[in-house]
Amino acid sequence: MIEVKGITKTYGKKQNAFLALDNVSFTIPEGMTVAIIGKSGSGKSTLMHAMSGLDRPEIGEVVINGENILTLKQRKIDAFRASTMSFIFQSFFIQPNETCYDNVVLPLEIAEVPRNKRRAKVEAALAAVELTDKIRKKAATLSGGQKQRLAIARAIVNEPKILFADEPTGNLDSVTGAVVEEFLFNYSKTNNATLIVVTHDPELAEKCDARIEIVDGKIQAIYGLDGKSGTV
Amino acid sequence: MKINDTIQRAGRSLRQAKARTLLTSLAIGVGAFTITLSLAGGQGGREYTDSIVSANTNVNELVVTKKSEVPTGIQEYNPDASATSSGPLGGGSIATISNEEVAQLEKIDGVESVTPNYAPSVNYVTTEGQKKYDASVSTYTKSVSLEYAAGSVDGTLASDEIILTEEYADVLGYKNHADAIGKQVTINATKLSTSFAPVPSTKDFTFKVKAVSSANGLAFRSQGSMLISDAAAKEIYTYVNEDTSMFGKFILASVRVTDADRAEEIKGILDGKGYDAQTAADVLGTINTFINVLLGILLGFGALAVLTSVFGIINTQYISVLERTQQIGLMKALGMSGRDVGRLFKYEAAWVGFLGGAIGAGFAFVIGTIANPLISKALDLGDIYLLKFDPIQVAVVIIGLILISVAAGIFPARKASRLDPIEALRTE
Repeated sequence: MIEVKGITKTYGKKQNAFLALDNVSFTIPEGMTVAIIGKSGSGKSTLMHAMSGLDRPEIGEVVINGENILTLKQRKIDAFRASTMSFIFQSFFIQPNETCYDNVVLPLEIAEVPRNKRRAKVEAALAAVELTDKIRKKAATLSGGQKQRLAIARAIVNEPKILFADEPTGNLDSVTGAVVEEFLFNYSKTNNATLIVVTHDPELAEKCDARIEIVDGKIQAIYGLDGKSGTV
Repeated sequence: MKINDTIQRAGRSLRQAKARTLLTSLAIGVGAFTITLSLAGGQGGREYTDSIVSANTNVNELVVTKKSEVPTGIQEYNPDASATSSGPLGGGSIATISNEEVAQLEKIDGVESVTPNYAPSVNYVTTEGQKKYDASVSTYTKSVSLEYAAGSVDGTLASDEIILTEEYADVLGYKNHADAIGKQVTINATKLSTSFAPVPSTKDFTFKVKAVSSANGLAFRSQGSMLISDAAAKEIYTYVNEDTSMFGKFILASVRVTDADRAEEIKGILDGKGYDAQTAADVLGTINTFINVLLGILLGFGALAVLTSVFGIINTQYISVLERTQQIGLMKALGMSGRDVGRLFKYEAAWVGFLGGAIGAGFAFVIGTIANPLISKALDLGDIYLLKFDPIQVAVVIIGLILISVAAGIFPARKASRLDPIEALRTE
């Protein structure tokens, strides 16, 4: 369960101050798929960063499984991210010169998963995105859709309970995008993992269990969370 | 992140930029090459002088001179001092050792014998039916190793015996070196003019050839001078110098001690009595100081090359951090700590240092191994090699360069570890 309680984030100082997030609160139950939607610059990415502990809002709490991650020390947050969450980005951020195996094994190395358990996990993750035959191939040889599938394999290899996807289909055509979406939702369903999709694509947002609409750093509307629907 | 994984990942990143890695390594390799060769030269040089000194000096022997104050200004006249105003030491005087003092030195406990350095000066050497040739003689000491082309000397040389060098044996017209053995040679010396005998007179001294010494990379004496016994040297010396003011005054004397272990102790006793004594170790030390100075200069150049390469490493690593901003951002987002990110870049620098050190030291070894016989041939050292590669030294050089590279990598690594992942992952 992720509880976001009144977080406020300001960029810049004094008269140049820009309110990126303004008193944002909501609760996401475990295993739910949630879309955070809004225009670019609305604060949706900032919200994702705050929820994952990459960014620290000045005010508010982000309570994950009973712990406010914003009060944790940096090393604890890093360890927390390594063990419980993962990310998928619009531009994949895979290492083109490395093999698929080396790309996918990175989170396992960071989380200090024992060596003898890594290979099976990497193979399982690649199988889940149907890239098993590419394990020894350089990531650069993959197509765009395959690259994002590789990124998903990397994101799910350590079985995170929370998966953040920042415009996961933004760089893909609708057909490959649909395939990628399917892999993401599939993972969430089969592992009871929370999936948080940041997007401005209403079609993708429709596929999620819940939607949080953000405008100018404020929550405009929340649909499908805690039985609530309509404007908050 | 585990250290092993970090090191492997660092190595992989470098492999992906092979040309850049290699070029950066080569810069540090130049330093490694210079330093490795210098150290090998220093090591070889020290071993070489060590073997020269031990072949030409005796650990039982102390070379003794009388202490003389370095004269400054005008000195009171000292009739016992030998004037060297025209000598190589310039103005001033050198204190000499008299026969009485030699006798006193012999009484010191632990001293076996004292032999003044007769340094007999002779005119020429010849033999029947041959021309006269410029000659140089020196005294034979059994402790000094000699190699013989013909004949041999077992311990002592009789006063009427002489050891020729190969060169003398050649010019004196013997069929071969063995042919010279047992033949008679004549050495001629001139008596120094004195008020008693204003007209110079000369005298022939005859010797029987006992052996012919062969040129040897280590033995200095065998190369230049013919060797005669102390007794014969004394005889020539007496003839040449008798009645001159210099007679019975020696600049050098060699003190032979009963036990090599007591050489330092006796040196101290002699020091207390107003003599400077040099042991074999002192002689070696003097030569080694010279080698060390040369070594220091070469190492300085090597260090300069390393310093230059340090900036190369900082530069490439810094650019690498900028290029890999997104990768760093991703790793941080996935939970890699700033410390581990910094480590990754430090290990990359370490790899560069290792590679450079290994390339440089490897090249130095290959080139040294090829050059060794050529150098020895050019310097006429026989089978002695001047470049000695000590594996421990090479290892220390490589480890040192790795540490220096890591130090050079600290600044870019810090830049990487402090990178804000949000900034790094911002696209477009």
